[in-house]
Amino acid sequence: MKKFNLKDILIPTVSLFLICAVATALLGMTNSVTEGKIKEVAAASAAEARLRVCENAEKFEEKTDKNGNVYFTAKDKNGETVGYAVTTDDKSYGGKIEVMTGFSADGKITGVEILTIDDTPGLGMNAKKDSFRNEYLGKTGALTVSKSASADNEIQALTGATITSNAVTRCVNKATEIYKNATGGENNG
Amino acid sequence: MKIALSLLLTAILTNNFILCKFLGICPFLGVSKKLNTAVGMSAAVIFVMVLATAVTYPINLLLRANNIEYLQTIVFILVIAALVQLVEIVLKKYMVSLYNALGIYLPLITTNCAVLGVVLLNIDNGYNFWQSIVYSLGGGIGFMVAMVMFAGVRERLEGCDIPKALQGLPITLVAASLVSMSFLGFAGLVDNMFA
Amino acid sequence: MAEKKSIGKEFTKGLIAENPVFRLVLGTCPTLAVSTSVSSAIGMGVAATAVLLCSNIVISALRKIIPQKVRIPAYIVIIASFVTIIQLLVKAFVPALDSALGVYLPLIVVNCIILGRAEAFASKNAVLASAVDGLGMGIGFTAALFLMSTVREILGSGTFLSGIKDLLAVFSGDIQFNGFTIPFLNENPLTVFVLAPGGFFVFGIMIALSNKLAERKGKPKAELNGCASCPMASSCALIADGKNCEEADAK
Repeated sequence: MKKFNLKDILIPTVSLFLICAVATALLGMTNSVTEGKIKEVAAASAAEARLRVCENAEKFEEKTDKNGNVYFTAKDKNGETVGYAVTTDDKSYGGKIEVMTGFSADGKITGVEILTIDDTPGLGMNAKKDSFRNEYLGKTGALTVSKSASADNEIQALTGATITSNAVTRCVNKATEIYKNATGGENNG
Repeated sequence: MKIALSLLLTAILTNNFILCKFLGICPFLGVSKKLNTAVGMSAAVIFVMVLATAVTYPINLLLRANNIEYLQTIVFILVIAALVQLVEIVLKKYMVSLYNALGIYLPLITTNCAVLGVVLLNIDNGYNFWQSIVYSLGGGIGFMVAMVMFAGVRERLEGCDIPKALQGLPITLVAASLVSMSFLGFAGLVDNMFA
Repeated sequence: MAEKKSIGKEFTKGLIAENPVFRLVLGTCPTLAVSTSVSSAIGMGVAATAVLLCSNIVISALRKIIPQKVRIPAYIVIIASFVTIIQLLVKAFVPALDSALGVYLPLIVVNCIILGRAEAFASKNAVLASAVDGLGMGIGFTAALFLMSTVREILGSGTFLSGIKDLLAVFSGDIQFNGFTIPFLNENPLTVFVLAPGGFFVFGIMIALSNKLAERKGKPKAELNGCASCPMASSCALIADGKNCEEADAK
């Protein structure tokens, strides 16, 4: 039988433990430095996206509707509501997709920004291009995707990326619902 | 059920780990020469993927509760490494036949990016526990499908007259390219089936 | 003075003669996955080089302290820490790169170039040599990624260095240069080159070319022969049949 040697077990365990402890301490330090910055960057990019989807907006107010959906109302410099920005997500080809949709005060889509997407470069990733996103501008109501957009509420699918086109459109439609509920609620109250 | 089936098929066919996501290329190129080793390796990968997901899911909840999610990578890789060793010891002791079939592949899996990849992707995609398990299972089966298919392709390559410059690894990669292209054909399948 | 010469050699070997991607066939997963655009390839290369340099230095410095028995877990912890540090820094200062690399950024942990160099070089050599080796291998990796992605982006998207602005924003936010568009190819891209099959295909052709060059110099072909080319193989095999523990016990 092998003889049980405490030293053989203790030294590796202790040294591995020490390495782990030092590594974790280092990571904690890095995190404390970068944590604020990461949040700042995320907030800044969200704010930038809101400005892009809502023209003429000066500042935004965060609100929550009765279903717990968060949306932003855009105010101009006189404090008048000029639009709304809603972020929605859905499942796309490569995973989660996050889309921010902007609405004008009269309910037309003023901008679509893809915040998160993990689709195939060259196909699904083309959703980020202006030519696709601009298809949504000025539209209202529930939208559908088709191979050749002929009707008003149709969006032409990206070549080879119907799944992504559908996912973006579902996000926009969800946003429209949230927008409708939000403004409907405001008018009633 | 519908969601589970769609997740499973997505992971196997449309988002195949090897052929679409490029995770686990080393074993794909290295261990696919013979059919039986390809099957053994893939079986070990399926086993470890599902087990690793089941173990890391609660750990991630713990990390999240304590707001130390940045330790994810380091904790997960250690958990996977420890898990693989543990599984090996248990199999060796209690399930000798299974150990003989899978044992030699187990240590190689620690640094297989498909295993760490599936665990991280489950969290990125925000799946719940059962969805994560199904996705991992699908990823593992997809790994096996790609390995087995490719082993077949490679066996056919053996007897071919290949231009000298392409012999060996280059022709293997070109063959992989064609297999991967055939998987592009599945792209719309799952979405249309469950739409 | 003999040492100085060899340090120069440690650096240059990673670039061509022992290029980790084309000669040693290591780190194939990130090579295939992020070479769809030159910008993300450069970002990945720089991130992996930073990890490789740091981990090689630390592992070499600790090589006499880390017990033989637990060296692989110890290396993994050290590498994973540096990967996480790089990941946090990238998230904070180059968020565009973080979204471009996605899951492949944390997956640098299992990039076999890094663990391979730790096991094959840093654990046996002095700090300076290990640092130079890490830097050389890292630059070789970056150069290979750059080559692959140049071919794939130009043919597949009809652009070159597209999105580089977001990377350069680290240095200065005023840079307006955002890559070139290639006439004709931009309107009619051969999309298959940025898709998965194109990745395998371009990689295969690159290996064939590098084999051709190697042959001319009388060097062997790049081969991925099971796990033989993986520097982890020897330790894997040792763990696999339990020799590792027996060896330690024998001492």
